[in-house]
Amino acid sequence: MEGESRKPIIRLTDIRKNFFIGTPNELKVLKGINLTVYEGEFLAVVGASGSGKSTLMNIIGALDRPTSGGYILDDVDVISAKDSELSGIRNRKIGFVFQTYNLIAKTNALRNVEMPMLYAGVSRKERTKRAEELMELVGMGDRMKHLPEELSGGQKQRVAIARAMANDPAIILADEPTGALDSETGRMVMDIFHKLHKEQGKTIVLITHSPELADETERLITLKDGEIVGEREGHRYDDAV
Amino acid sequence: MMMLYENFRLALFSLKANKMRSLLTMLGIIIGVSSVIAIMSAGDSISVKLSDTMEGFGANNIELYLDFREDYDGDYWYDNSDLMDRDMIKDFAEHFDDRLKAISVTCDVGAADVKDGSKVAKVSVSGGTLGTFLINDVKLTEGRFFTIGETDTAAKVAIVSSKYVEIMYDGKNKDALGKGVDVEIGGKNYKFTIVGVYEYKDAFAGMGMSSGDNVRTNLYIPYQTAQSITHDDYMVYFTVMAKQGVDSVQLTKDMEDFFEKRYYGNNERLHVSAYNMSSVIDEAKSLINTVTIGISVIAGIALLVGGIGVMNIMLVSITERTREIGTRKALGAPNSSIRIQFIIEAVVICLIGGIIGIVFGSGLGAIAAALMKTSPMPSLRAIVISLSFSTAIGIFFGFYPANKAAKMDPIEALRYE
Repeated sequence: MEGESRKPIIRLTDIRKNFFIGTPNELKVLKGINLTVYEGEFLAVVGASGSGKSTLMNIIGALDRPTSGGYILDDVDVISAKDSELSGIRNRKIGFVFQTYNLIAKTNALRNVEMPMLYAGVSRKERTKRAEELMELVGMGDRMKHLPEELSGGQKQRVAIARAMANDPAIILADEPTGALDSETGRMVMDIFHKLHKEQGKTIVLITHSPELADETERLITLKDGEIVGEREGHRYDDAV
Repeated sequence: MMMLYENFRLALFSLKANKMRSLLTMLGIIIGVSSVIAIMSAGDSISVKLSDTMEGFGANNIELYLDFREDYDGDYWYDNSDLMDRDMIKDFAEHFDDRLKAISVTCDVGAADVKDGSKVAKVSVSGGTLGTFLINDVKLTEGRFFTIGETDTAAKVAIVSSKYVEIMYDGKNKDALGKGVDVEIGGKNYKFTIVGVYEYKDAFAGMGMSSGDNVRTNLYIPYQTAQSITHDDYMVYFTVMAKQGVDSVQLTKDMEDFFEKRYYGNNERLHVSAYNMSSVIDEAKSLINTVTIGISVIAGIALLVGGIGVMNIMLVSITERTREIGTRKALGAPNSSIRIQFIIEAVVICLIGGIIGIVFGSGLGAIAAALMKTSPMPSLRAIVISLSFSTAIGIFFGFYPANKAAKMDPIEALRYE
């Protein structure tokens, strides 16, 4: 593969996840996923609902532990990490972007962006400075003091992306980031991801059920019934626009 | 430290977002704390008032009086031979000379109305020793006390109250000196010469009332003079004042023992009982303390109920904010910081409730103090206790909901609708 010279950021080996273990209803959601994501890659995971992509996202996002398998994230062994260490891993290594934005209500956009830095123990002054820079980066420089309820969906998602970038994470993990947006604002959000990818060299994992969006990325992984059933290069984003 | 500040800010935000709910939640704490503060400051005011009043009567004063023995169950009578006489008092005075500052032996002659034209002054004529003035805290504003010569010769001299002078001489003390007082007691007329005027203290003045001109004030004459009128040579009681620094409780006991050993050991009916004002003060104070504790317990129950209310609302709050909790966890908040966030929120509710309660309670305490004419006691002790108690309630009742929040599964929490 072309990635031999590049550094692997995510290394999943034989990841399995079962629910209701030991009961007659035992459910095998992930059936041995092997996946390597390299530094600076823009990757899409596609699959219908029930394909196991949410579970995979939870495992990649260190929100959940697999039943078995290995997971190395940016040289950190997530599997052997203690529960108390997982929050630190999420804080520093992963930037989440959710379909429903999940901004903290009654807290202005700037403070939302500052939040991961708060948990990382960054000083107030530095937090504010970095958050302001990030807000400028996502084109929200003029709405820093706005409360989430005063922002449109697209604006909220841009704040959420800025927040995901706060601690300069190893990966940005975006779960259906345009799922709640109309096509025009969805386009704008996707453009930001491309910008972060190209200009900042961010590693981005996009989880989506939309083949069109996935096609914009460098590499597509198709998930079906808990297994990777397809992998191909995407059409170049530049070609798409 | 940084997190602490952020958490306080956050807690205030979330309280502001739900003003009505926060206020209702605080109500239990407010009621509890304000009653604690009110009752404590009122209790303190009463205690101070009581001590002031009692100390006016003299905490160092010990009253000695003849009393029937507790185990005596015969008829309640006595004759003159049972009573204390002058020699006994003399013996007593010598024996306790090193511990006593003054002895007051009094002899009541009787009440009379002194008339001068339309002016009428009510007096009660009372014989006393020099110690009487000291022990009863009677201070001269004009003239002098009796001289040794006057007491030895049972001279017809008198010390009148400023009230008497007010009525008879328009308050001009100097005019009263040397003037005569005509008193009729038991059908006989006596004439005394005024040698001194003492300052009359209106016992009700402290309570915002005045006894007016109708009050009967003491007209002091020498003890021997009084005896020469009443021909009564026996005493049922007398009062002493202990020297400063003398253990009055021990002295009280020693004096009772003295009379028991020397004079009343063989008397099956009577004995001398000594009684100290400070024991009354202590009793009254302990009564107030008991009442204060009792009401504090009720206030404590209000605080407990308030605390449960806080816990309840915190449980509602974390359920409402499940997604926020999930998001915070996804962003890397450790469980401990979620826990602290919600504990601090509970503490802030309780503290604000506590502060409102303190303001409210101090107001009530101040009103009570104003009614009793004492200075409102800014009871620092009560404030410190209330604030620490509020904080403790916040921590205690905030812990369970906060811990529930901390232990939430982030995936479940993020999915929560």
